[in-house]
Amino acid sequence: MTTVIEFIDVNKTYPNGVTALSNVNLKIEQGEFVAIIGLSGAGKSTLIRCVNRMHDINSGKLIVNTIDVSALRGKEIRQYRRKVGMIFQSFNLVTRTTVLNNVLLSSVPELPYWRKVLGVFPKETKITALTALDKVGILDKAYMRVDQLSGGQQQRVALARTLAQSPEIILADEPVASLDPVTAKQVMDDFKKINKETNMSILLNIHHVELALEYADRVIGIRQGQVVYDGKASEVTQSVLDSIYGDVQSQDELTIHPTLQPQS
Amino acid sequence: MSEMIENQFENEPKKGFYWISIATILLVAFIWSVSSIEVQSLNESGLTIASNIFRGLMNPDLELLFGLTTGGVLYLLFETICIAFLGTIFGAILAIPIAFLMAPSVVPAPIAYIVRLVVIVIRTVPALVYGLMFIRVTGPGPFAGVLTMSITSIGMVSKLYVDIIEDLDISILESLTSMGCTTFEKIRFGIIPQLFSNFLSITIYRFDMNLRDATILGLVGAGGIGAPLIFAMNSYRWNEVGSILVGLIVLILLVEFFSNKMRARLVKG
Amino acid sequence: MMIYDKLFPPKKIILANNKVVEEKRSKTPFIFILIIIGFVISVNVTGFSFSILLNRWQEFFVILKEMIPPNIDYLPNIWKPLLDTIKMSLVGSLLGSLVAVIFAILASSNIIKSKFTAGIFKFILSVLRTLPTLVTALIATFVFGLGTMAGTIAIFLFTLSYIGKLLYEQIETINMGSFEALESMGLTRLQSFRHAIVPEILPTYLSTSLFCFEGNVRYASILGYVGAGGLGLLLNERLGWRDYSSVGMILVILAITVFIIERISEYFRKKLQ
Repeated sequence: MTTVIEFIDVNKTYPNGVTALSNVNLKIEQGEFVAIIGLSGAGKSTLIRCVNRMHDINSGKLIVNTIDVSALRGKEIRQYRRKVGMIFQSFNLVTRTTVLNNVLLSSVPELPYWRKVLGVFPKETKITALTALDKVGILDKAYMRVDQLSGGQQQRVALARTLAQSPEIILADEPVASLDPVTAKQVMDDFKKINKETNMSILLNIHHVELALEYADRVIGIRQGQVVYDGKASEVTQSVLDSIYGDVQSQDELTIHPTLQPQS
Repeated sequence: MSEMIENQFENEPKKGFYWISIATILLVAFIWSVSSIEVQSLNESGLTIASNIFRGLMNPDLELLFGLTTGGVLYLLFETICIAFLGTIFGAILAIPIAFLMAPSVVPAPIAYIVRLVVIVIRTVPALVYGLMFIRVTGPGPFAGVLTMSITSIGMVSKLYVDIIEDLDISILESLTSMGCTTFEKIRFGIIPQLFSNFLSITIYRFDMNLRDATILGLVGAGGIGAPLIFAMNSYRWNEVGSILVGLIVLILLVEFFSNKMRARLVKG
Repeated sequence: MMIYDKLFPPKKIILANNKVVEEKRSKTPFIFILIIIGFVISVNVTGFSFSILLNRWQEFFVILKEMIPPNIDYLPNIWKPLLDTIKMSLVGSLLGSLVAVIFAILASSNIIKSKFTAGIFKFILSVLRTLPTLVTALIATFVFGLGTMAGTIAIFLFTLSYIGKLLYEQIETINMGSFEALESMGLTRLQSFRHAIVPEILPTYLSTSLFCFEGNVRYASILGYVGAGGLGLLLNERLGWRDYSSVGMILVILAITVFIIERISEYFRKKLQ
């Protein structure tokens, strides 16, 4: 197994003084399906967004596929981001245009300049995009406008957009939070399928514990910027959940939890 | 229980006074205004003219209506369409930078406020005055009409554009950033697609209005179908008036029909 | 657009797993070419020329410069026509928006069962809407004589057509469930209308009426140009005399008036939402 993401003593404090991550040490292997759980505001989102430099870290090291992420500058950041796909809670699609056009966006940075200006995409790119749509099962919706699709279908468009980018890692920031339970499961199934078929590492934030335990191989619990659990999804017990979600006041006792020791 | 009901009954908002006062204000304003409107009894000549106009509409001068000379209604309508078309295009293009300068989410609030004020001033000057100003530049004729339409379009179009700009969904920019897009790429593929169809829809709507307003231009000699209409009226040639009006009504109804279709397609996709 | 798809059949894209996707040809180039053709024709018909514009644009500012500074001494002459303009718009808008209710009800096919009646009233509203206000005013001066009456009629007809159309469109798209519920409780059609439909459309109706009044003040200011009373009368006279500094003064006053009315109307329209 090769390590794709490695956090070494990562700290992150926002300009307003809020500490989002403190001393995070993590290793994520190729092909792992990792769910990050925790209260809102615990730092889940920050953790994910540091991986593709949507946020900068203050200290420590973050290494993704042997690249030191915080050392990247300007153009290097953009090139690095090509290899990391990201899915958002609110889908972040251009709703006024077709599904296919949205998926094609993933290829924009690689187009020659005239194509960017005119917005004309080459055939190979279209085939890649359509194949990605086929993978998430909405090939027939390719020429429909996004605003005519349901929430679940929209999130699949976003997923296809990321797949068309053929990333090494997929990050997902609360991908199912704005979906109803049934659609949420369908989208999670898609994630699982992609994870199994392509061996891409998937790192996702989720506040539905049941979904996290059902789909992820590994669960990371975050509480006030610290990793308080890191282990197999099957080994998460009620006491682990209490340590992640339990009463904030009694935090001192809870941080000394047997499963706190980082794995591997 | 009954006490609670009574209390709730007392709590019913008293809107009556509010409505009565508004109605009173309106009524007073209305009476005050009516007093100064010179209500003349419809005298006989007025009635004759009314029936003449009606008869003219029913019996339009067919030769004028379908004749293909440059003095014919068809050509004049065509000229009016051309004036409105060019005027709308120029106005719509000029309105884009102005609209961005009017949007508080794009520029600092004081600049937005000043630009808004300038637009209000531009909007207040009547088309007729612009027409006279532009005739000095171009001489009388449809060219002056085009320029007038351009400048009178700016006000409304930019005001409607601003609403679209303020409504932009910027979450898409976040995902474009995560894909490694440059600022140019973000604007080209994240912003422009959102603006394009809405801006186009507004522009088509304005074309519709400009077609109607273009008839005013004839008053000051800035081209279009207005001037022949006024000449015909002033010389009591009601059949000519009829044919011009029929042509105008049919044209505007047709354009309205098609522009509504196009706009519905643009908005619904 | 069916013809377009036949002329330019959809492109077939075959995926790796042999699935075939049909991509319709984009209509953008076609529309773009149409616009270019329209542009070229219009430039020729109107005699539009960039070189004249570039050479002579300064001429535009000749009149503008003469307007500044505005002739303050002319101010006393402005008040009465200004008030006339406002009064014309007020009466025209008020009567127009009231009569529009009747027309809108009669034009709504979900209230009026007779398709013919509804169709007739829709047609009347559409035709009225096509007539530019200035043309209506001109006709009105012939019928009612020169003066504010003609202007008021023009404003009235415009308001009637504008609000009438918006209103019947709104009534037709309204959810009829509550109307039917009230009818089933034994209310008459009129009573059901009053209690089920009116509350739904009232805020929008008032708001469009205000908006229309706002625009009417602007329109009314030029109606005098054809002799229909108000500020336009002065504008016509002063422009004729090339007394541009007085024109400037009229425009300044008009701008201030329109601005104030817009503010007031905007305030009330916000409250209505």
